[in-house]
Amino acid sequence: MKGIYNCEVIAQSEVSPGVIRSLLRCPEIACQAQPGQFVNVQVSATTTDPLLRRPFSVHAVYPSEGLFSLLYVLVGKGTAMMTKITSGENISVVGPLGRGFDLGNSPDAQHILVAGGCGAAPLHFLSDRLCALWGCKNVKVLVGSRSKDAVLCEAEFISHGVEVEVSTDDGTYGHHGLVTELLKRHLDSSLSTLHSPTRIYSCGPNAMMREVARIAHEAGVSSCQVSLENNMACGLGVCMGCVQKIKGAVPGDTSGTDWHRERVCKDGPVFNAEDIIWD
Amino acid sequence: MGLTTPDLSVNIGKIKMKNPVTVASGTFGSGQEMADFYDLGRLGAITVKGTSLEPWPGNDYPRTVETSSGMLNAIGLQNDGLDAFVNEKLPFLRQFDVPVIVNVVGQSVDEYARVSEVLGKTEGVHGLELNVSCPNVKKGCLAFGNSPEGIAEVVSAVRSVTDLTLITKLSPNVTDVVSIAKTAVEAGSDALSLINTLLGVAIDPWQKKFRLANITGGLSGPAIKPIALRMVWQVAQAVDVPIIGMGGIMNATDAVEFMLAGADAVAVGTGNFVNPMAAVEIIEGIQEYLMSTNVSDIKQIVGVVGK
Repeated sequence: MKGIYNCEVIAQSEVSPGVIRSLLRCPEIACQAQPGQFVNVQVSATTTDPLLRRPFSVHAVYPSEGLFSLLYVLVGKGTAMMTKITSGENISVVGPLGRGFDLGNSPDAQHILVAGGCGAAPLHFLSDRLCALWGCKNVKVLVGSRSKDAVLCEAEFISHGVEVEVSTDDGTYGHHGLVTELLKRHLDSSLSTLHSPTRIYSCGPNAMMREVARIAHEAGVSSCQVSLENNMACGLGVCMGCVQKIKGAVPGDTSGTDWHRERVCKDGPVFNAEDIIWD
Repeated sequence: MGLTTPDLSVNIGKIKMKNPVTVASGTFGSGQEMADFYDLGRLGAITVKGTSLEPWPGNDYPRTVETSSGMLNAIGLQNDGLDAFVNEKLPFLRQFDVPVIVNVVGQSVDEYARVSEVLGKTEGVHGLELNVSCPNVKKGCLAFGNSPEGIAEVVSAVRSVTDLTLITKLSPNVTDVVSIAKTAVEAGSDALSLINTLLGVAIDPWQKKFRLANITGGLSGPAIKPIALRMVWQVAQAVDVPIIGMGGIMNATDAVEFMLAGADAVAVGTGNFVNPMAAVEIIEGIQEYLMSTNVSDIKQIVGVVGK
């Protein structure tokens, strides 16, 4: 169950330019978090600017040590303050929050993870759990980034035994182009020969996930899930700030509207791609 | 005087609160999400999200922006409507030993009255907070709340259909909050809550566009506390009904300041987002304040500053 925890920062390190990995001690979150869930971190207890907590997806859990890790990009005042927290300090963390990925129930399913940029963070946790559940041979990760020095988690995925393909926008490493091109190529080559169900999981920029959803739909894959990221105020489902348009009318709505809004923080952040109305 | 436990109870109209702390509408949902953190029965009252007759879809996204020591929101009162609240949300709240105040919204005077009439006959509803001050919807709400005539019309209409305690939530986006407050009381409001959010905008200088889809939003958080304190103090001088003060209350010290200014009770809003335990920690902090200052009854500090 979610809670407020005073977590000790064990270590923070820059894994690539502007990308930080934090290791935190919190047995409750380490044991309870599911892939795709996030935590809400108070980056400073001594100032009201920034005021709100910052949401970070869980990157890895180490339940036996009572540790979990976050992987975040330095983007603004909040994350800049976060980087200043030193080992041994405590920070307030609310979590685990939100609805994570559905890992399926078929031992034969093929799992394709499509990461864009820092979207690799939650998919790293997911790949670990999928490997533990179904074995790594059925898990493939496609990692997209701007350039070679921004590729995230490739070595970690490989060290866990997962097959990885990388794309970069500028062609400095791996496939020169978009990660969605890798997905299309993979589906085109494998769907005609494989009879097992294919499940796709994606996290990254909205435009990328919209294209992942389109490709998955056209290929007729059995499941495509996307992890959304919207501005959040509460992270708890009470403020209704981080909403996403979802297909289907809300019960009781007699206006004839064929969509409704759901909360990314509470009803997501993971949604079935087929349910989303992409703006 | 020894360190005896002080009396924290207050009355807002017919609503008996065991302590003076409630939550601000729209910052607590209908309580279900917050019940994971603590027993909701510890609160003095729960004020739930704005409820309209039919479901409202709310505004487009983006709806929130963080600002210096505050945040702007333009949610647009998204809610599932009266039936969903009564049938799906209220049964959950009835299991707690806490008064429930329902924030009522409408696009017309008739809608306010119809929602209020149903809630007045519904078990488990102890009070109504008339939201005539939300700045984020095009019809209703602030259209009524920014004029004495509008306030009088809504309050009178609701007063005629229910005996429940009526609390009118006032807007700071007016020239003379005192005259609006007096009008609400004369029209039959049993109590007042203030302030709602302040109208503002945020701009993205790199994209050269407004950050909120609605362009304007309501500012809340510590940034607005001095304005809220001023208005509570002004209104407390002018009316003889209970006041629920709110606006940037983050801790017990903030809450005490509002009570010293004239608030009989306080509501925690944006503070719930930063610290889900804020409301109960504030209750404990108020108690510690009273004990450390040898005050036996919370009512003794109300309006002490400014008398």
